[in-house]
Amino acid sequence: MNEELLYWFALTQLKNWGIFKKNQLIVKIITEQKITLSQFFNLKSDNYIENFNLDKSDIIDLDRVKKELPNLSFLLEDLLAQGYELITINSSKYSKTLKENLKLKYSPPLLFIKGNSQLLQEDSIAIVGSRDADEISLKFTDKIAEIASKEFKVIISGFAKGVDKQALDSAIKYNGHSIIVLPQGIMTFNSGFNKYYKEIQRGDVLVLSTFHPKAPWSVQLAMSRNPIIYGLAKGIYVAQSSDKGGTWSGVIDGINKGRKIFVRLPYTNEKNANNILIQKGAIPVDQGGNLIENKFNQLEFNDVPIINDDNKKEISTFDLSVNAQIEPKASIDDRIRDLLSYSELTSKEIIKTLNLDWKIQKMTSHLNKIPNIIKLTGKPSKFYLKGDKRINNLFGE
Amino acid sequence: MDRIEAEKKLNEIFKIDHFYDTQWSVIEKILKGEKVLLIEKTGFGKSLCFQFPALLFEGTTIVFTPLIALMRDQVNKLDSLGIIAKCINSNQDNETNSRIIQEAIKNQIKILYIAPERMENIEWLNAARQMNISMIVVDEAHCISTWGHDFRPAYKRIVNLVNLLHANFPVLATTATATKSVEEDIKQQIGKGIYSYRGNLIRDNFRLFVIKVNSEDEKLIWLGQNLNKIDGTGLVYTGTRTNTEIYAKWFDYIGIKSTFYNADLEPATREEIEKGLLANRWKCIVSTNALGMGVDKPDIRFIVHTQTPISPIHYYQEIGRAGRDGKNTFIILFFNPNDDLSLPKAFIEGSKPSISKYQKVISALKNERLGEQKLMKATNLKQNEVRTIKADLIEQNIINEVNENKSKIYEIKFNAPEVNFQPFNELKEHKTKDFEKMIEYINLESCRMDFLCNYLGDASSNKCNKCDNDTNHIVTMNYDDSWKQKIDEFHGNYFPVLEVSSHNGKLIDGVAASFYGVSNVGKMIHHSKYENGGDFPDNLLKLALRAFKKKFKDLKFDLIIYVPPTVSGNLVRNFAQKLSEILKIPISHNLHKSRETKPQKIFQNAVLKKENVQNVFSYSKTNEIMNKNILLIDDIFDSGYTVKEIGKYLIALDVALIAPLVIAKTVGGDL
Repeated sequence: MNEELLYWFALTQLKNWGIFKKNQLIVKIITEQKITLSQFFNLKSDNYIENFNLDKSDIIDLDRVKKELPNLSFLLEDLLAQGYELITINSSKYSKTLKENLKLKYSPPLLFIKGNSQLLQEDSIAIVGSRDADEISLKFTDKIAEIASKEFKVIISGFAKGVDKQALDSAIKYNGHSIIVLPQGIMTFNSGFNKYYKEIQRGDVLVLSTFHPKAPWSVQLAMSRNPIIYGLAKGIYVAQSSDKGGTWSGVIDGINKGRKIFVRLPYTNEKNANNILIQKGAIPVDQGGNLIENKFNQLEFNDVPIINDDNKKEISTFDLSVNAQIEPKASIDDRIRDLLSYSELTSKEIIKTLNLDWKIQKMTSHLNKIPNIIKLTGKPSKFYLKGDKRINNLFGE
Repeated sequence: MDRIEAEKKLNEIFKIDHFYDTQWSVIEKILKGEKVLLIEKTGFGKSLCFQFPALLFEGTTIVFTPLIALMRDQVNKLDSLGIIAKCINSNQDNETNSRIIQEAIKNQIKILYIAPERMENIEWLNAARQMNISMIVVDEAHCISTWGHDFRPAYKRIVNLVNLLHANFPVLATTATATKSVEEDIKQQIGKGIYSYRGNLIRDNFRLFVIKVNSEDEKLIWLGQNLNKIDGTGLVYTGTRTNTEIYAKWFDYIGIKSTFYNADLEPATREEIEKGLLANRWKCIVSTNALGMGVDKPDIRFIVHTQTPISPIHYYQEIGRAGRDGKNTFIILFFNPNDDLSLPKAFIEGSKPSISKYQKVISALKNERLGEQKLMKATNLKQNEVRTIKADLIEQNIINEVNENKSKIYEIKFNAPEVNFQPFNELKEHKTKDFEKMIEYINLESCRMDFLCNYLGDASSNKCNKCDNDTNHIVTMNYDDSWKQKIDEFHGNYFPVLEVSSHNGKLIDGVAASFYGVSNVGKMIHHSKYENGGDFPDNLLKLALRAFKKKFKDLKFDLIIYVPPTVSGNLVRNFAQKLSEILKIPISHNLHKSRETKPQKIFQNAVLKKENVQNVFSYSKTNEIMNKNILLIDDIFDSGYTVKEIGKYLIALDVALIAPLVIAKTVGGDL
């Protein structure tokens, strides 16, 4: 495996290639052509065009990375010598939860870790929320971490101030397990490795990064780390969210993707957007993490926050802007194709997942018009995107 | 490029008209991006096998070699041919190294020589990621193998690197000394279809002799009688650093031009001696086996070993540098059956620290990640013990070596296995067998060269017809009383130097009356100190006075100060008192310790020894020492930290000069 690592590493270094493009190529190499990455790297360019559908600029990118192979070897040797591990997307050590949640489209092809890699296979939750969360949210975080730890669930933490940090500290306090998902390269986290040395040694904490090992912290990386946190977690608990920022967009994205997200039902006097998330489909829980069947029943009526007109306006504008981004007619077909590239769904499920205001009949007849969408027999009928179905097999292990 | 074309180029650049067939085969493979192991004797022309292709490659060729002398030599040689080659090593200052690294990043260097230990250097690793690297050369590749005679942990990282490199990246590993099993080990570790070439190892210009003696003095005497009779210049290898000095002083005493060389010398001094070697400045250089490896001197006419190497392969390696010009060369090994077995045996026995020391390191690391210094402090282990243990624990996947800022720290891995001591025992057994082979060589009655070649896996060799056995020229000792007298005089007038001098020149190098372990001085001190034997005996006083006269007779002293005792006892005070009376220099009792210290000997490493005496001294009447010349007295000089600490303190009180005088200087591991 070790000799393959260099090529995995090289492949993730392809400039301007998105995760999806990289993963598609990996699938072509491993599943379709059934060759190793090292064999792939040693092929001639006409082979790349013929068998891998790569174009000229792709090949220029590949050539560039090939030239860097000796340099990458040095970095990789250093990484491994320092005890970091690389986990490739086709490895049995790769988190299945992450693959299920992010699919081929967003699952990082390579994880850099140090610590107990078994934690990637365990049941997991993330507790997310603001950097400047208030006391009540931190208490909630602590409680959820306590319960999760008792249930042997791993807590996924983004290592940000506030809720993230509390989740981690509490997991440690309750002798639980946690995964720190870094907003930076794994080789730049020395202070953290000192701080959590004993926990890592015991196997209670795993540190994980998906970025270039030497990348310093940046806002951009912090933002792109968020989907990894949500992806690694089977359950998501929101302690406190404002109506913008990482937590908010992550939760909205999760709701859109049909994930179950538990949001702490706030008290009347709280100024946060938890209630809006609940209105948008998140599941309310009480301070102890218990489900609230009907969100307006369990608490006294007075406790239910009333959204005033100003807020409403603001929210509806925000809603619109969100919708405006994701719902222009031209892009609906793309979104459907994306969705069906990694899952088989009924028309109803598609409508729900994409949050569309369509009749089922309309969707079904629309699907028939999109090229390469295949209808499966059964009731109700499910649809999938031809060609990409096989891609899933890679992730099925 | 075909051979004709290549040889045309060879002639243009290197002024050599053709390759040997083996050289060309290797070069052809390298140019195709293959991996090659080349085992050829010294002088074969291994370097050309990478220097030539390096010029054809676009980027830089990295040559890992542990031999700084070789780096310098080859760089100079390439420089004279107009080829840009540079080296990075610990003898150069950081600025120079950094500048060269920058040049390498800009692809301005064709061949870059670096020490394997650089693979642990963060600046280097960062640079290597930006360089255009075309080929990697691993010189002295036998260091890769733990079964080799000179395994070095840093080579492990080179092996890891080579294993990560992509398939068609050229790698050349070279060595002059690899047994079959080491060859197999190297091939297995570098892997990926490596080709190997092995040449014959016979050195037919060597005249191998073994001279059996009955005492250490007889070695000195034989050399005194005969060294000047051997043509040309050469090397005398000793087993310890102390002996390099003693032998050189002896040669000096009887008029043989020599100097000594060991790892304690400053880099600049060492470099100067290497230059002197090339220029035949001395009849011989007395050295530990650190010198000579990689020195490109074709006419080293003799190599004498005063101490038995621990295996035939060590021996072959160490004598290998002589007589590269193919002319008659004397290779002499002394053997004193009474004394020469203990050092190699101790070396083999001590090659691995005890189990409890491994556990000490592990339990220290369980609490926090520590660097080497802190680890030494936490465990009170010697630096080389800590280093051996670290390397083994890394090898066994128990700890990681992590970069923190510019230094290294160590951490225990999650799920680390228990230490496996089995390989250490196997290694000891292996080394013991090797040493038995060396003894076999000494007692051999057949051809010595044939024995060495066979041992190294070269079955092709025959009788050399040059060694003492083949020529029936067995050397025995033969000397009269005048030589015995000379030796006694030499010992009586030889006083070890204490190297403590400070940069401002106020603390000067001191002198000891004797070495602790040599003769019975150590025993006498021990008797007084630890067996209630009363004051140090008068013959120690006499010896000390002679040392004083020899070293300091031209200096005028104002005051004698002695090192205050650690626990109790007035031994040193009384000794200093007697010296004061005889030398008529007033004595002061005003140097004190402001806190209790522990005996330095309980501390195993420099970090703790330093800390034990740091800021501990105080002087009660500072006026009386201002601008004075001071003779500082102590009984035993070991690490030198006490004397240096007192020196530092007194200099701050404005003394004019401090000269240390002690009864005995220890030789590594005496106490």
